[in-house]
Amino acid sequence: MKRLRFWIFLMLLPTFALIFFINLYPLVRGGVISFQRLTVFTLNRPRFIGFENYRTLITDPNFWNIILNTVVWIFFSVLFQLVFGFILALLLVKPFKGRGLYMGVVFYPWALSGFAIGLLWSWILNGQFGILNDILIKLHLIKQPISFLSDPRFAMFSVIMINVWYGIPFFAIMLLAALQSVPKELYEAAQIDGATMWHRLVRITIPCIKPAITSTVLLRIIWVMNFPDIIYGTTRGGPAGATNILSVQMINIVYYQNNFGKASALGIIITGVLLAFSVAYLIVAEKGAFEL
Amino acid sequence: MKYRVLSILRVLGLIVYLLFAVFPLVWIILTSIKPINEVYSFPIKYLPSRISFDAYRYLFSFARFQVYFKNSFLVATVSALFSTSFSLMSGYVLSRFQFKLKHFLLLTLFFVQMLPTYLLMIPQFTMFSKLKLTNTLLSIVIIYTGFGAAFGAIMARAFFKSLPKEIEEAAWIDGCSRFEALLKVVLPVFLPNVGAIFSFCFVNSWNEVFTAVLFIHSDHKMTVPVALYSFVSKAGIQWNVMAAGIVVALLPTVLVFAIAQRYIIQGLTQGALKG
Amino acid sequence: MRKFSFVVLIVLLFVGLVFAETVTLRVIQVFTSPLRTKVLEEIISKFEAQNPGVKVELISPPYETAYQKIYLMVSAEEPLDIVEVGDWSLSALASMGKLLSLEPYLAQSQLTGHLVPGVLDAARTYKNTAYLLPNAIYVKTLFFRPEITSKYNLNNAPATMEQLLEFCRAITKPEQNQYGFDFRGKGYPTAFIDIVMTSFFDDIDPNCMYLKKDGKLIFEDKRALDGINFYLELFKTAPKDSINWGFDEQVNSFVSGITPYLFQDPDTVGLLNELLGSDRYRTAPLPLGKGGKAYPTIGFAGWGITSYSKYKDIAWKFLEFFNSPEINALWCKDYGALPVDMRVYDIDPYFKSDIFHGWTVMFGDTQHYQFTKYPLDNEAWSEWNELHESTMQQVLLGKMKPETALKTWADFWKKAGLGK
Repeated sequence: MKRLRFWIFLMLLPTFALIFFINLYPLVRGGVISFQRLTVFTLNRPRFIGFENYRTLITDPNFWNIILNTVVWIFFSVLFQLVFGFILALLLVKPFKGRGLYMGVVFYPWALSGFAIGLLWSWILNGQFGILNDILIKLHLIKQPISFLSDPRFAMFSVIMINVWYGIPFFAIMLLAALQSVPKELYEAAQIDGATMWHRLVRITIPCIKPAITSTVLLRIIWVMNFPDIIYGTTRGGPAGATNILSVQMINIVYYQNNFGKASALGIIITGVLLAFSVAYLIVAEKGAFEL
Repeated sequence: MKYRVLSILRVLGLIVYLLFAVFPLVWIILTSIKPINEVYSFPIKYLPSRISFDAYRYLFSFARFQVYFKNSFLVATVSALFSTSFSLMSGYVLSRFQFKLKHFLLLTLFFVQMLPTYLLMIPQFTMFSKLKLTNTLLSIVIIYTGFGAAFGAIMARAFFKSLPKEIEEAAWIDGCSRFEALLKVVLPVFLPNVGAIFSFCFVNSWNEVFTAVLFIHSDHKMTVPVALYSFVSKAGIQWNVMAAGIVVALLPTVLVFAIAQRYIIQGLTQGALKG
Repeated sequence: MRKFSFVVLIVLLFVGLVFAETVTLRVIQVFTSPLRTKVLEEIISKFEAQNPGVKVELISPPYETAYQKIYLMVSAEEPLDIVEVGDWSLSALASMGKLLSLEPYLAQSQLTGHLVPGVLDAARTYKNTAYLLPNAIYVKTLFFRPEITSKYNLNNAPATMEQLLEFCRAITKPEQNQYGFDFRGKGYPTAFIDIVMTSFFDDIDPNCMYLKKDGKLIFEDKRALDGINFYLELFKTAPKDSINWGFDEQVNSFVSGITPYLFQDPDTVGLLNELLGSDRYRTAPLPLGKGGKAYPTIGFAGWGITSYSKYKDIAWKFLEFFNSPEINALWCKDYGALPVDMRVYDIDPYFKSDIFHGWTVMFGDTQHYQFTKYPLDNEAWSEWNELHESTMQQVLLGKMKPETALKTWADFWKKAGLGK
């Protein structure tokens, strides 16, 4: 028994030692920094200022706007990724000739770095020299070029579209996997009962893959929240804060305000929000199906 | 008749998505083989008047891309190997045994996913600097392995849970030790899942840019995304070179993904269902 | 001191030769670009050829992340000998106490006497001590594309801001994708706003761009409002998309001819020569404003030495080498900058050529072009640019009144202790 315990300890050690070393210890340090005035001018002589960083962040008139943007960004990104990923998975579930090749080709966005995606799309969506505008004009769909990334009415829509483009493959892969494991017998029984396509989808498919959806969605929400790359690479939160979300604001505070204390405070806020959200999500989601 | 309509819709849907997904890729590939004066021409020139590999030549001569490529490959492979093995070990234990801290450890794995990179980066940098580990590929291997191992453990645990315990138990009866059983019986069945975890870790490490930018100083130690980032910086508007860089950076991950794709889907079938 | 350093050098070189041990100088640059790195490497290899036993390792982080990386590296005393210091990072780095005062070296060096007037003053921004040796100066001027503007019978550069607006309006034809002003809304647009706004004044403090000679903040003056409103008019002759443009897009748009009027630094010259050719654009002095004046700032960048470097004297040798007239000429010509050594202007006729017309005029006419400075030594400076950019964007989009923006800016600087 003692040997078994030791063995368990040994098996867990590498992973958790690493997590402690590169996540938890720095987290504590970051927590300490969040209570300090630590800017480039005070890098070598930080001083404790209590909750000052938190106060400045929360009382900033733009803060609630950033929170709202973050919610919009996460909600619509994940929603559309889920819906289109699910549709794609449904289209792909029945084998056809060249399916492997098709998947190999269309799933490539997932293999791109967030940074490259931002670069690529900011070029495509550019209001002056972007090809998307050029194509739309040539197709006579629009007359004037659209400032996808610099018109506040379109900017958030545009960055969400990019994120959807990037995230569909992930959902499609996960849901395709889940779909393939739905027992065939269920469909056959439904066929005998004369159920319509829609009924089969709603009554059999969706309930069967619900656990997969629940867990994938939660992980995705966490990642999308902490994924500033696309917005940072295209608009950096602009124009005039129209696409500013928490994680982008954090980079802006590091790079453009040079205030590491404030950035850490924002990091702690992000972590807290995610933690609270995850707990609530897990309580609401079916407990039986979603076991940690 | 109804099925006819449905299958037409299906083909149509697949084509529309194909266009949506692929047109940026086509555009960067076209750009990467354009002569420089056609890159900025307005109105836009879609097809190059002649195919020019200048951008690629530039990338591999002046910008020493082969060095960055080698570094990235080393870092991504080593960290993916380590994080896969670590996560298999912990994932196995977490799925098979009951012990006191289990729930706490599971929660920790999820919690780690929530930490923003920038919160950890400055303390990490100070720590690594004290250990004299900055400006080494080892430093980013350690960090990537940590991130990979945490997520990998979540995946691995889900996979193991879907694997019937009986397979192992049969092996024990045959006189195998626990470890032998794991190696000889479980691992072969589990191979697709290993592929899935490995490719996830590989892709993530290959693409990481912000940590690498801070931790790596020397030019000959830079990774591919850092080099790409340097190109955009101030006046980095050599779009054909940038496009060539993206294409080159994409090759290994697409390759790994294409190879592992089948296994990932198989693997996730079991994993996703058990959550 | 000089003798001492000479002895140290000889000893070091001797040691180097005997043990074939090489000294490695680590140099980090800020404004990384492929073009710049190439020029730097060329200069470094020349230095290495002259100094056997010394190796120089160039570190080139991506531009956007470079300042933060340097701050963190220097504060952790990571191995670094020479640091690129820009006007914007000087105070932060110097106040950390990790930069070496170069005054003893400057007092000995024969280069000091040949520096362009004002360069050393600029370098002594922090506590009146030089913590860097500038190797180039940057002053914004007007770039324009005669081949585009002449299509509208506009052959000369606009002399005043009024004229600039008039010209820009005349050529703006959105349906033909032709616009006037090459606007910048993102990534440090501060200087562009300020050039326009201060041109409405005639009493700017030569030591601080944001103060009038009476010591009051310019943002509280009625003329500042006129300045912003004028800036909004200019924006109307630029593509709407330009609110999201940074340096790259500006250059891209200028090169493709969409916006033929651009305010920029001389480092754009190197890039334009490569992308466009030196005969397809010209420079002119900044247009004069309502106040009959223009207030450019002298930006500078150069090398500093870390206080913890093991090879301070060799590092200084590199700095001196870099600023020697021949090398300085090469640097400024290929990368695009204004030389800091007066002799360079005599050696190389390039710097008197047509391309430099704008700067030549501005430097020669001190009555109309009065150089001033940013409050770079104020701690608030590091947070100013982000605020300036985001409030300006809101004004451009009509989400904030210009008056509110001015009030925000005035409040910000008052809190930072500027102005009466």
